[in-house]
Amino acid sequence: MTLSEAVGGPGPSRADVAATLVARDQLSPDAQLLRFESEAPLQVLPGQFAMVRVGGGGLLRRPYSYCDLLDDGAFTLLVKQVGVGTRALMNLPVGAEVSSLGPLGTTFDPPPPDLTPVIVAGGVGIAPFVLFCRRLAESGRRGIVLLGGRRRPDLYLWEAFERFGMDVRVASEDGSAGHHGFVTALLDAALADAGRPFLYSCGPTGMLLKVAELATAAGVPHQVSIERRMGCGMGCCLGCVVWARPPSGGPAEYLRSCTEGPVFDAETIAWDRDPHPL
Amino acid sequence: MAEANSTTVDMGVEVAGLRLPTPLIAASGTFGYGDEYREVADYDCIGAISVKGLYLEPREGCPPPRIWETPSGMLNAIGLQEVGIRRFLAEKLPAVRALGKIVIANICGSSLEEYGELSRILDHAEGVSAIEVNISCPNVAEGGIEFGCDPDMAARATEVVRRGTRLPVIPKLSPSASDMAAMARRVAEAGADAVSLINTIPAMAVDVETRRPRLANVVGGLSGPAIRPIAVRMVWEVAQGSRLPVIGMGGIANAEDALEFLLVGAAAVQIGTMNFVDPGVWRRTFDGLAAYCRRHEVAALRDLTGAMRPETAG
Repeated sequence: MTLSEAVGGPGPSRADVAATLVARDQLSPDAQLLRFESEAPLQVLPGQFAMVRVGGGGLLRRPYSYCDLLDDGAFTLLVKQVGVGTRALMNLPVGAEVSSLGPLGTTFDPPPPDLTPVIVAGGVGIAPFVLFCRRLAESGRRGIVLLGGRRRPDLYLWEAFERFGMDVRVASEDGSAGHHGFVTALLDAALADAGRPFLYSCGPTGMLLKVAELATAAGVPHQVSIERRMGCGMGCCLGCVVWARPPSGGPAEYLRSCTEGPVFDAETIAWDRDPHPL
Repeated sequence: MAEANSTTVDMGVEVAGLRLPTPLIAASGTFGYGDEYREVADYDCIGAISVKGLYLEPREGCPPPRIWETPSGMLNAIGLQEVGIRRFLAEKLPAVRALGKIVIANICGSSLEEYGELSRILDHAEGVSAIEVNISCPNVAEGGIEFGCDPDMAARATEVVRRGTRLPVIPKLSPSASDMAAMARRVAEAGADAVSLINTIPAMAVDVETRRPRLANVVGGLSGPAIRPIAVRMVWEVAQGSRLPVIGMGGIANAEDALEFLLVGAAAVQIGTMNFVDPGVWRRTFDGLAAYCRRHEVAALRDLTGAMRPETAG
């Protein structure tokens, strides 16, 4: 059940709005945190995303998780250079506009009161968890955040999670920060420390797969945000599918990561049938 | 930009016996089952909706990756993932009917019998105004494009649908046919009321680093502005070479694009891939068409169909 269903109403309504780039923070040589001011106020829940259209950024929009939502209605996006879409966004001058269609997709459920949230994020997969941890902090909750990346500069926004009072533990593949190796190596200890954990994950498919295996073995509830190449974000192009069981039950089928996702209960996903490279 | 005042221009068109309040139709496969865009597209500008292609039974479609962007275009191999005709009628049709739009059912068959059965079922369906016959999907192994390349097969598919229904029948033509006008004449003889064209163009792309195809299906269909000049040429050929009304499509992103299709002979046009890019395409195109008509003192938009002057510009 998503948060919007839990509160008994439809999700916040979506709209295509103009958003102005007001600030850029170069987080690493190839990643930026971009701050936008939207022409209309936004009601975004953690885990949701926007389809962003930027001049010179190719034909189709690109999906970005809302990273953070600020008091004045501004929002941030975490962007790492991958192709023409991300490059255009990273070269966009401050003061320029993009078209932002959102909020779209499902949301992370808040952890039940008796469970401790444990978050596992790799690379730009940390993006949706900034807003999620902000909401946790606002409701007086704390959790454990495991961040992984190739090198220290790839452990984006580490300090933001500490500011929200989270227990942050890091891993880097080159050993330049924290544990030398994959972030998933930190998971067993985190689950033990949490006592009764509720897992959330977002990042590279290999990482998600490992987290899902460990969570299943430990019997820990687990929600995962899955990124796929998307055409529309509105559930119409059927480009972004994931082989998974529908929330309403029944056998697995291709579900849309933009509409039935991006946040799924990890146990509904048939990972072996979905070896997607992204 | 001047606010379009369409009260001074008659924007209605008639095609295949359908009276459409605007010439703009949502293209099958880009607009879901019709109501997905209700929060972000201006439905007042939409003349009709051609829903996602339907088979008798649900289909799971192709494995991912299913889409890849190319210059000004998009490759897709979705493989017609759909819910099947019964679930469409029970669960999807009521939602789009509630929006008050004219619904065109797009049907696909893996055999002539399936086309016939689908048309008989739709003939009794409350709220379906016409049948668009997909004889041209490049991404399904059976049926699909093999009906679309062979005029005899296309004619036979059209004939069984014609026998199954009183609804207007609109075969959707493949750009892979060698002679588009001849294809249109054949389906006309078989009972078609109009044709729509073009479906996507079979195409592919390769990731040179991994040396793998970009799509799991290897080959997909190319759509978007990249294919527009080809589509305009084919609509012109069909309009010149047959008497059948034509619904044109291929990368339409604005009024000027739509006008190209109308001027070479289309009676109405479909908007497809640009839905993904910009749901505002409906309002912008509609307003642009009305503004063009006022600027050129055209009282009724339908008068523009086939109004291209034969001599070249300049």
